[in-house]
Amino acid sequence: MDITKMDITEELRKIVGERLSVSPSELYCYSSDASQVKGMPDFVIRPKSTDEVSRIVRLAYENEIPVTARGAGTGLAGGAVPVSGGIVLDMSGMNRILEIDIDNILVVVEPGVIQDALNDTLKSYGFFFPPNPGSSAMCTLGGMIAYNASGMRCVKYGTTRNYVRGLEVVLADGTVIHTGSKMLKSTAGYDLTQLIVGSEGTLGIVTKAILKIVPLPKTRKLVITSFRSAEIAGEAVVKTFSSGVTPSACEILDRVSLQVLKRYDPELVLPSEGDVILFEVDGTENSAREAAEQIIEVCSPLAISIKLAESVKEMEDIWAARKLVGAAVSRLDPTKSRIYLGEDVGVPMKKVPELLRKAQEISEKFNLPAMKYGHIGDGNLHLAFFIDVLNKDEWDRLYRAADLIHRTAIELGGTVSSEHGVGAARAEYMEAQWGPAIEVMRAIKKALDPKGILNPGKLGL
Amino acid sequence: MKNEVKKDEVNIESRRAEELKGNENCEKIGKLPFEVDRRSVYKCVQCGTCRPVCPVFDVVGWESANTRGRMLIIKSLLEGRTPSADVLSSLASCTTCGICASRCPAGVNPPEVVEAARAQLVKCGVTTEAQEKLKTAIITSGNSFGETKSRLHWLSEKERSELPEKADYVYFAGCFDSYRYPEFAKKTFGILQRFGVTLLPDEQCCASPLLRTGFREDAAKIMEHNLEQIRKVGAHSIITGCAGCYTTLKNNYPEELKVISLPEFLAEHLEELDLKCLDLTVTYHDPCHLGRHNKVYEAPRKVIQAISTLKEMKNIKENSRCCGGGGGVRIGYPDISLELARNRLEDLPEGVDYIVTSCPLCVRNLRDAGGDVEVIDIVELVAMAME
Repeated sequence: MDITKMDITEELRKIVGERLSVSPSELYCYSSDASQVKGMPDFVIRPKSTDEVSRIVRLAYENEIPVTARGAGTGLAGGAVPVSGGIVLDMSGMNRILEIDIDNILVVVEPGVIQDALNDTLKSYGFFFPPNPGSSAMCTLGGMIAYNASGMRCVKYGTTRNYVRGLEVVLADGTVIHTGSKMLKSTAGYDLTQLIVGSEGTLGIVTKAILKIVPLPKTRKLVITSFRSAEIAGEAVVKTFSSGVTPSACEILDRVSLQVLKRYDPELVLPSEGDVILFEVDGTENSAREAAEQIIEVCSPLAISIKLAESVKEMEDIWAARKLVGAAVSRLDPTKSRIYLGEDVGVPMKKVPELLRKAQEISEKFNLPAMKYGHIGDGNLHLAFFIDVLNKDEWDRLYRAADLIHRTAIELGGTVSSEHGVGAARAEYMEAQWGPAIEVMRAIKKALDPKGILNPGKLGL
Repeated sequence: MKNEVKKDEVNIESRRAEELKGNENCEKIGKLPFEVDRRSVYKCVQCGTCRPVCPVFDVVGWESANTRGRMLIIKSLLEGRTPSADVLSSLASCTTCGICASRCPAGVNPPEVVEAARAQLVKCGVTTEAQEKLKTAIITSGNSFGETKSRLHWLSEKERSELPEKADYVYFAGCFDSYRYPEFAKKTFGILQRFGVTLLPDEQCCASPLLRTGFREDAAKIMEHNLEQIRKVGAHSIITGCAGCYTTLKNNYPEELKVISLPEFLAEHLEELDLKCLDLTVTYHDPCHLGRHNKVYEAPRKVIQAISTLKEMKNIKENSRCCGGGGGVRIGYPDISLELARNRLEDLPEGVDYIVTSCPLCVRNLRDAGGDVEVIDIVELVAMAME
């Protein structure tokens, strides 16, 4: 059959009507996310139902057209970028919270629900959905599931994976399956739910999710500490954890990040110098106070300053600013922009001080200023190089530095991506990180998507 | 795409191509240098913080209708992409409300970038019909409505003849108050007159609509006309009740003028106004160009609280949602504009007698959106307290 783009357009329009666009500007807007990966789609569609997604994917399957699902496009690995063209499914319009089932402590949502919107709704019930990436104000739950997102509180609460009970998934040929259930446990068969979580849209497209929620803690406390060097800060973290405290968040902000935050909001109550660790503890008033006191005791011999946040507002302001620190670097130097490359490596916690040292060496070797911040409590370092984007030489050095930081993380027994995903940006490192295990992933991909239409060019498959 | 599907076999249509039919100038951009300050554009790291707060995106749903999309489109033009007509529907549909700028962690000011890009499109001759209509009206009549009657028609001949020729303060009435809400102008001037304020003999549009929609050269001429008038009167301060006029006079006029918004002036002179307390509960809508753009948040609240009970809307001050009227969107995309206004009315608290605001364009758009609560200008509330 000699089917033309015009024919496909007509067929797609029959399914979604005006929610299809092939206008050049629209396609351009869907050709990137927050990473440096680019790829122009041929069609952009905003589906409203599982049935529409199923019909679109079936059409794509029959005609071997790539299909890339996209949430809010806040990803940092090019996961939502259609590197082989084809259809982009903008899932953000499927944004209903379908069920709040407090009796079973779960919610049923469509993939386009924004993370913060879910938590705003759950607040009045006294519950929350814990994974909270820096982009929680704009990212969608579908994207979080596809990339197994986590964020600052994963050190205590785990990643998105730990909260997904069941999924509705459209497979490559348009078949709709349901995985998992509302139950806490089931040993009946393979755990397809967990297979889909983190699969970056390469195995199926999530159209509905059953998510576990948890009660909001009664209180949260924030211990703000600073140290003479990032390495000493890393030591303090290791000592804190081994003393038996599990903070609900444990974040590092090196001195450059600290200056950026102070420029972003001069009112923030942050130390004036040093490399900062923010320890958050939560629970009841008593348990949180005891944990905070223990952190203060453990860190005191190493720290140059220690302070307990005095009010909820003080704490919330710091967290709100921390979430945006990545993009805020141009506050420090308007000619520089933070570029997300090599930004998400992770190593076992004990290796964090070594990673910090090597990251500093790489920054100096390539003469690229960098912020070092991240979820030090789970070994995840966000190394943020910033460059003058109009300077080609700086771009070149940046790519080389990012390559080296990825290889360093693998050498240290870590990962090239802790929470942002592999997408196309880190696909080339998958073999180095996984060895023969990548072939198992490829076999799974082949079994579920024999024509290779679902988000091709991702995950190094 | 793979296999049988052949690219470029179809004339790619814009979803809003209809409204732009006949505009054949788009491809000119490819031949002319498209100049917008690159640094201010490349500061955007596409993080998407602006995405959930853009009020137009909230209504339209396509990426090209949010700030990040607009920045991307401008980037593409800078990089030499020959645009299609749909560039306009993205860039012209921004209300320049600035909520994106207030949230942007990278410190980008998207309204400034969008306005600069619109100016470039104008240079290349790429404009919408609505833009052209607006420009023609202002150039030919001196006001955005194309009205031919005197701008001071709301004064009697006697009152006009008695206007002081020289004064320290001038009341800049603006197009909206002059032609659509002359009662606002009358009440405002009634209050200001006692402080020795006069009017410009030949005030013309402040040029805000021209600047917001990219007609910078035309705007410069009309601004010079108004400046000449101000110089003639010898005023050192200008008072205006329109948020659009306020931000334009304050931030866009080539000469540094002391510009005072009506709420600021009223708040400053509360004691001299001898106002009585009203048994009313009202809410306040922050106009974007008074609030977010110029941080005038407290003055109107001070005035309202001096004479009535204030019950705030759900989103206020820096987080206030746009009424949909600004940036040329009311004229260019009335359906989108009205939908924004309806969304803003959802922020209304219960049990209020009036929605008060300090901008006639906001009054107009919020009134057009319907709703059960009457929308009034702050001067009307003050006038009630003077009765």
